Amino acid sequence: MALPLTYNFRNVLVRWRSTLATIVGIALVVAVFVLVQSLAVGLEKSAANTGDPRNLMLVRKGSTAESTSLVSLEQLRILHYWPQIARDAAGQPVISADLICLISQPRIDGHGEANVSVRGVSPLGVALRPQVKLVSGRWFTPGRREVTVSHKLASRFAGFAVGDTFRTAGKAVTVVGKFDGGNSAFDSEVWMDADEARALFDRDEYSSFLVRTTSPEAGQALISRIEADRRLTLLAEPEVKYYGDQTATALPIRMLGNFLATAMSIGAVFAAMNTMYASVGARTREIGTLRVLGFRRRTILAGFVVEGALLAAIGGALGCRLALPMHGVSTGTMSFNSFSETVFQFRITPWLAAKGMIFAVVVGVIGSLLPAIRAARLPVITALKSV
Amino acid sequence: MTISTFVFKNALRNKRRAVLSVSSVAVSLFLLVTLQVALRELTLPPPSAGAELRVAVRNKISLTNPLPARQRGIIERISGVQAVSPFTWFGGRYKNEEGMSFAQFAMDPVELRPLFGEARMSREGYEKFAADRDACVLGKITAEKYHLKVGDAMRLDSTIYPGSLTFHIAGIYSGTPDDRNMFFRQDYLDESIGTPGYVGMWWLKVKTADDMAPVIKAVNAAFQNTSAEVRAESERNFQLGFISMLGNVKKLIASISTVVVFTLVLVSASTMSMAVRERFRELAVLKALGFRRRELFAFILAESFGLAAAGGLLGIGGAYAIFTFGDVGKMTQGIFVSFEVTPRIMGLAALVAAVLGIVSALAPALSVARMSVVNGLKTLD
Repeated sequence: MALPLTYNFRNVLVRWRSTLATIVGIALVVAVFVLVQSLAVGLEKSAANTGDPRNLMLVRKGSTAESTSLVSLEQLRILHYWPQIARDAAGQPVISADLICLISQPRIDGHGEANVSVRGVSPLGVALRPQVKLVSGRWFTPGRREVTVSHKLASRFAGFAVGDTFRTAGKAVTVVGKFDGGNSAFDSEVWMDADEARALFDRDEYSSFLVRTTSPEAGQALISRIEADRRLTLLAEPEVKYYGDQTATALPIRMLGNFLATAMSIGAVFAAMNTMYASVGARTREIGTLRVLGFRRRTILAGFVVEGALLAAIGGALGCRLALPMHGVSTGTMSFNSFSETVFQFRITPWLAAKGMIFAVVVGVIGSLLPAIRAARLPVITALKSV
Repeated sequence: MTISTFVFKNALRNKRRAVLSVSSVAVSLFLLVTLQVALRELTLPPPSAGAELRVAVRNKISLTNPLPARQRGIIERISGVQAVSPFTWFGGRYKNEEGMSFAQFAMDPVELRPLFGEARMSREGYEKFAADRDACVLGKITAEKYHLKVGDAMRLDSTIYPGSLTFHIAGIYSGTPDDRNMFFRQDYLDESIGTPGYVGMWWLKVKTADDMAPVIKAVNAAFQNTSAEVRAESERNFQLGFISMLGNVKKLIASISTVVVFTLVLVSASTMSMAVRERFRELAVLKALGFRRRELFAFILAESFGLAAAGGLLGIGGAYAIFTFGDVGKMTQGIFVSFEVTPRIMGLAALVAAVLGIVSALAPALSVARMSVVNGLKTLD
């Protein structure tokens, strides 16, 4: 068994010219596969990465996005006295009543406009989201028309540099700082004071409440209590679960990725087959010699399949390597959930790279199977006679 | 034997390889066509008849901010405006479906025909829509999808407004670029939510194409420095604004197309040189017989071009057949509706195939041209 394997392995190296094209071809296919899937992974990760396990998110029943949810001041007053909600040092319930409003902003490259989520947060709202960290400037001051923007959004839209002012709803708004959302959904937001936002956008109501509960049991109790209270018409969910479910945008990207993977792999299988057939054809005499030496048909079959798989694995590794520099690069598109720009990163996880490798090897095995069968079936005498 | 049969026989001598080469070219060109069509659909929505006379008016803050209903009277008085209707997104989900499979808008029923005259619907449909408060009109695609007909009731749960509404289908329309939408009455929506005095957008029709620019200017100016400033723009620009929101998707698809083309060239060029290397000896014999370099190059070129052309025909033709006669809406779960393979895209793919045929012939032709007859005859491989 050892000899045909070394033979096949050295063949890959010796006949490098004919195999190189196949390897590079497979590498490109794998690179495209990994990159497109890494977008979907990035989107899902940013959704899954958002929220604090101690928090509950409350939105209007039936709304699918925070931006279309409406919750009222009255509901907030009722919640104020519930014992399940934690209290801060001053004895105040830890609740942030937030307002989400979408504003249309020009892109930094001048190519049109897109919706950006502005989140008005209550004074406790920043502390409730510990994953959000200030990176430059300062936080907005409640009572002033100031915003702190995600630095990832700031690199995509005009007027979001610290010190800039932009106009919305007929008023000038000043950017006073930038924050980092820790690769969460907050990376796609602009934050300001909730009541300033309500005044600016002329809204009586809020969009959601974020509350800290005293314990996980209290959280469960709060969820059941809200469900039971028909007068509230609210839906309470753990914050982590709420954001984790917001992955509708990843679906079309996954579909694109799967379509590309299928179509390109068919092409890659044909290409691999071509190379392997040629390689079997060119080595007919050598195969005959191996048979004469006593190697069995199935050993030869296995040897060629391994050669194909090896070829593809090299291609796969190269493809992953080609895709790797994109890891962590930010990109953005419109989220189907929030109807606004969502910023996320290409995420090439080890599992995704492994999937790329598996994909490559499968292409290699399928591509080399028929040529390998042909090699194994060659009659010894004819093989030896062939030129 | 003529030269053309010689080329033809050579191309098909190794049938397996010919089939594989043609198939890999076909698959790649199919992919290229698909990506280009997708890119075109995303970046250039199909224009609809009458669009050149329609104006979309949204809140200047963003599309998702409502507009006060009191603006209507002011817009109607602007000269050049022929029809005005509210246009309010309902965000309804039908039959507890996970996502939204069609869009619904609340309108003024009387203005439906003046605004969207290109939609074909029976006269009774229009009359019924104008008469019954809970009436709606439905696009043919959606009606067929859910087996709904005129007179049926449909209930939608709104993701924007509290509660749900039940509608009765007054008519089914067709003939617009996207026959999926549903239109119902703004007054029905107002009634159910207690008439808050807001609409989603205004949609207007101007009298002539010359009125377009002045009307847009006048509408924008009319609400400057009010509590709800507006952005009026042509229907086309409004659609293009949506595309800008898609962000980097365009770049992504364009780069994938480039990689596909590159891979294609690489693989086919390698196959082609394999085919030529295999018969180096024969080519050397031809050379010895007195065929010139030019003629040998023509042989190789003709073969490679022929294979690429066959692949192109198969790939482009296949894409055309599938997307023209297949149900793309179903295949993509409603993301794409028309998926039109335009002559321009087919031309581009054909050009790629042609260039591919030429480029793949270059390297082997060069090495054949360079070889000496003696060396060529010596080749064993």
